[in-house]
This record gives sequence, C-alpha cells and structure tokens, in this order.
Amino acid sequence: MPDSMIQPVDPQLAETIDASLLTEDATSQKEPEKSATPLQESLRRFRRDTRTVVSAGIIVFFIVLAIVGPTIYQHIGGNYQSAINGTVPVTAFHGPFHQELENQDQFISGQYWLGTDAVGRDLFARLLQGLLISITVAVLVEVINITLGITIGVLAGYFGGWIDQLLARFTDIMFAFPGLLFVILLTGIFGTWADGTLGAIPIIGPNGNARLLLVSMALAFTSWPLMARYVRGQTLQLKEQQFVEAARTSGTTSAQIIVRHIVPNLFSIVIIASTLNMANTIVGEAGISLLGLGVQSPGSSLGLMISDGVSQIDSHPWEVLLPSIVLAIIVLCFSFLGDGLRDAFDPRAKDS
Amino acid sequence: MVQFFVKRLIGLLFVIIGVTFITFIMGFYAPGDPIRNLLGQHFDPRLYAQLKHAYGLDLPWYQQYYNYLTHLLHLDFGLSYKEQDRSVWSILQDGVPISAELGFWALVIEVLVGVPLGVFSALKANTWIDTTNMGVMLVFFAVPVFVISVFVQVIVVWIDQHTGGSWPVSGWGNPGQYTWNDLQFKLIPIFVYAFTGTAYIARLARTSTLEVLRQDYVRTARAKGLSERVVVYRHALRNALIPLITVLGSYIGFLVTGAFFIEQIFNIPGIAQITLTSVSSRDYPVIQATTILLAVAVVIGNLIADVLYAVVDPRIKVS
Repeated sequence: MPDSMIQPVDPQLAETIDASLLTEDATSQKEPEKSATPLQESLRRFRRDTRTVVSAGIIVFFIVLAIVGPTIYQHIGGNYQSAINGTVPVTAFHGPFHQELENQDQFISGQYWLGTDAVGRDLFARLLQGLLISITVAVLVEVINITLGITIGVLAGYFGGWIDQLLARFTDIMFAFPGLLFVILLTGIFGTWADGTLGAIPIIGPNGNARLLLVSMALAFTSWPLMARYVRGQTLQLKEQQFVEAARTSGTTSAQIIVRHIVPNLFSIVIIASTLNMANTIVGEAGISLLGLGVQSPGSSLGLMISDGVSQIDSHPWEVLLPSIVLAIIVLCFSFLGDGLRDAFDPRAKDS
Repeated sequence: MVQFFVKRLIGLLFVIIGVTFITFIMGFYAPGDPIRNLLGQHFDPRLYAQLKHAYGLDLPWYQQYYNYLTHLLHLDFGLSYKEQDRSVWSILQDGVPISAELGFWALVIEVLVGVPLGVFSALKANTWIDTTNMGVMLVFFAVPVFVISVFVQVIVVWIDQHTGGSWPVSGWGNPGQYTWNDLQFKLIPIFVYAFTGTAYIARLARTSTLEVLRQDYVRTARAKGLSERVVVYRHALRNALIPLITVLGSYIGFLVTGAFFIEQIFNIPGIAQITLTSVSSRDYPVIQATTILLAVAVVIGNLIADVLYAVVDPRIKVS
C-alpha cells in the first residue's frame, strides 16, 4: 500500500484495518481464541479505564519532568545582569536555591516561568525540585515497605506461630498510635541530629535534605504493618490452594514454595497497596515539611513551598496556590491509579 | 459481655504501656542534654547536679521509667524543661479545651452532613446525582486537609480584599464561647477540618446502605407492601448505620493527625500546636504528655466503638 508509506497511519486505525482484513478472509487461519491470562485480562480492563490511564499518564509526566526538567530549564535563557549579584548565569537563577533579592514575588514571566517567591527564588525550579523530593521519598518508602511487608507478611501467613502473634500485636499498637504523630515525634526529636550527621553524606545530605532519610524511615515504619497484614491474608488463602498442595506433595521445600508459588501471586495485592500508600507517603512528606520538620530551607519540597507561601497569602496568593494545586493533582492521580488498579486486578471488589 | 469488656480493657492497658514506653525511650535516648540547655550560658557543675537530681535524670532508665509511670497514675506529667516552674499539666490545660472543641464540632458536622449525603447517594445509586456526589467526596477525601485549608484561606482573603471585609483566617478567639466575634474565628477551621471526614463518612454510609438494601429483610419488608419510606427509614437506615460506629473509633486517630495541620495553618493554640512547639524546643516532658494523651484518646475511641458495636448489633459474636 503506497498510501501508508507517505502518510503514517494512525495506529488505532491500523488496528481496525487489520482486524477487518482478518475477518474478511483470514478467519480460517486464526487460531482458536486463546483464553487470556489473568494478567492480560487485568491489563485490558486497565486500558479501558480512562480515568486511570489519564492518572498514570500525568504521574509519568510529573516523574519525567522532575528528572529531566531541571537540566533543560537551566539551559533556557541567557545571563542575567543583577544589581546585587553581578552577572548571574542561567544555570544559577533557574536553579532551586539561588536567591535574587531584587526579583522578589514576581509573577509568571519569560525569565521566571512560574514567578519567584518571597526571597526571589525561581518557583518553577523549586517546584521541580519539590516533585523530585516527593517522588524520591515515595519510592524509598515503598522499597522498604514492600520488602518488610512481604517478608514478615509471608512468614506470618505461611508459618503462623509466634511471628504471626508478634505481627498481630505490633499492628494493633501501630493502628492505635496515629502514624503521623510517630513521624512527627521521630523527626522532631532526631531532626537536629540528622542535620548534623546525615548532612555530611554527599548527594542526599546538603541543601537541607538531611532529614528526608529520617522522614522516609519513619513513614515506612508506620506503613509496613498494613502491607504485612494484606500479604498475610493473601498468603493464608494461597497456602490452601491446590497448586501449593501439589508442590508440597511432590517434595518441594517450604522455601521453594514461598519463592516460586506464593510471592509471585502476591504481585497484584502488593502493587495496589503500594500505589495507594504512595499517595499517603507523598502527603506525609509534604505535611511533615509543612510543619517544619522535614526538608529545611534552602531545600525545596511541596510542603515547604506551601508553608513559605502561606505567609504571602495576602499579597501573592499564587505562591501558595501553585504547590497546593500540584500536590492535589499528584495525590488525586495516585489515588485514582490505585483505585483503577484494584478494579483491574480484582473486579469483584468494585461493587462493594 | 463483661468478659469482652475486661479483655479489651487489658488490651488497652498494654497499648498505653507500649506508647508510654516508646515515648519514654525516645526522650531518654534523644540527643542533647536538657539540663545543660536549661542552664544555657551559666554552667555551674553544682547547680547542674542539683537540677539533674531534681528532675530525676540521674537515675538509671528503668527507675526513671518507673517513676514516670507512677507519676502518670496521679496525672502528674512532671515539670516542663523549657518553661521553668511550670507543670506540664498546666501547659496542657491551655491547649486541650481548644483542640477538644475543634474536634468535637468537626465530628458533629461530619456525622450530620456525611451520613445523609451517603445515604442519599445510595438511594439514588448509579444516577448522575450519585456519581457527582461520590466524585466530589473522593476529591475531598484524597486531597490533603492542608491543601484544602490553603484554598479556603486564599478564597477568604480574596473576598476580604474585594469587599473590604476582615474575616480572620488565623487564631481561635475565646475557647468555649460563641459570640459572633468568636464564631468568626472558629467557623472556617471547623468546617475545613470536617471536609475530609465528611467525605470519608459519606462514602462509608453509601457502601453500608447499599449493602443493607440487598439484604433479605429489606426484600421482605418490600414484599409485605410497606411504603418505600418506611422500608428505608425504619428497616434499612438503622442497620446501615451500624458499621459506621466501628469506623468512628479509628476515626479519632484521623482527627488527631488532621489537627496538626489545621492548628498549624490556622494558627490555633491547641494541643497539636503545643506538641509542635515543644518538639522544636525539645521540651520532652511536654512531648511525652501530649503523645500519651493523643494516643489514649485514640485507644479509648476504639474501645468505645467496639463496645457500642457489640451493644447495638446482637449478631456480633463477642469474642
């Protein structure tokens, strides 16, 4: 077909064309319909759910923006002649930490894409940095959360006994004790220590980010019991399934059963729980920074930006609105994504 | 029933001891020497030893913990490190009434608004009313309370600037008083505080109402020829509200965390604000006291919910 060589065909259109060709005369060649695997079924349900797909797209967009955005942004524009600082290269004034005191509280402009804050820092650069912080913390917490949750949940569910008892008691206390209060206590008491000690670590240390490690640990510590409880429940069900029984009768050791049969089947529940938890983590980090216990100035975080902006609410509401709106969008997207994943992986849960 | 109650009380005791222990150990191993901070520039070894003895900090940790617990039993939280000669108890007395007031009214609004919204949504299930309502509730539930506070503040400030009004967006007025002047301070924080909870309760009320409407006894009631109104109000609604009781318990924890942001953003001198100030000034006795107080509030909330649940729904096996 010459047409398609000149003009790229819309992929969706191409699919329908192919399908119509198939139904025309190739039906006989078509293999008998293979039943889709559960994962394929889930993915199909996932793709049909517009809200979830859009949410996932926005999240990916923010992640890419946070990672590659700063480098690009710091190379757009030329030097700036400042009366205070002399010649300022664009890499500096488009950076999140540089204060340009003669450009305080600016609104959106060509030089500052999203304006500046009360001490003349570029809001767009700070927003990107804040996003990066949110995402980093979310990933870090999820790594700890999943590792601990799966390990302890599987052990408790598969072997029962004292591990199970311990987990049950521990989760009871953790549920009774408000998680955020624990995080506040930990970061409040050990915060200055973290500034001094963890601040010496390169890359994560400087720019007021030292406490993030502490915040992440604290957030992970409060969230893993829930994950462990989900995993435990699922393990209890899986343990009674026939394929596990079959494996056991054929002499497979417990360790092998866990690794080969139990853990792979935890995939969906772990993905759903950790996506939903990511929303909580991002809110948690922003909240802790907002209370002044997380990222310290001159560092940036969505929460810190909100708390900086609140003082300017009378004169420049934009400074507080920007991080709030972005945070709201991210959190909503993660919640929608989590809900959508649950519907995709476990359609029965939708009605309730 | 009695057995159940006793069991729960013992469990409660364990949780409280656990919480006191965690907070105590955190304060014990916390970096920095509070007495040295208290003395500041005027360091004098004799005075140092004296003060250390007076605060009981020269004892081994288990004895300190024991002393701490025995004092707790007398509701004696010790002395503040920061404000000399001021007992933690009197500091708490400033904040607790304010936070309690804030939490109480928020809870009232949540129940009064959330339950009807949820039930209404369930009765109109899968119509556009239901979808819109639940969509809005989902947004309110997912968006963090401090973001909602910020939006509301921006709107109030904007209206003030355009009408020349002066509605306050910070402070709390006089605790326990409801003159128009005080109400101006209180209304906005209380309503913002109630947003998240209203959404949560509405979603739950919808789910449990739908669940109940599927039950056999509702079908029976309809089959008897009762009017829809009687079916809904007399048979369905009562039972739909039962699961909500259990949630109210864990919900207190929700209120507690929300208080931190509301009190911070609206600058309300409640117990969360006190906790934050004492955290930044490392006033450990105050931190310990507020933590224990908040945790106990959560645990007791859970206990009350469990007991109520068992009382209201005879089908629940008390075990």
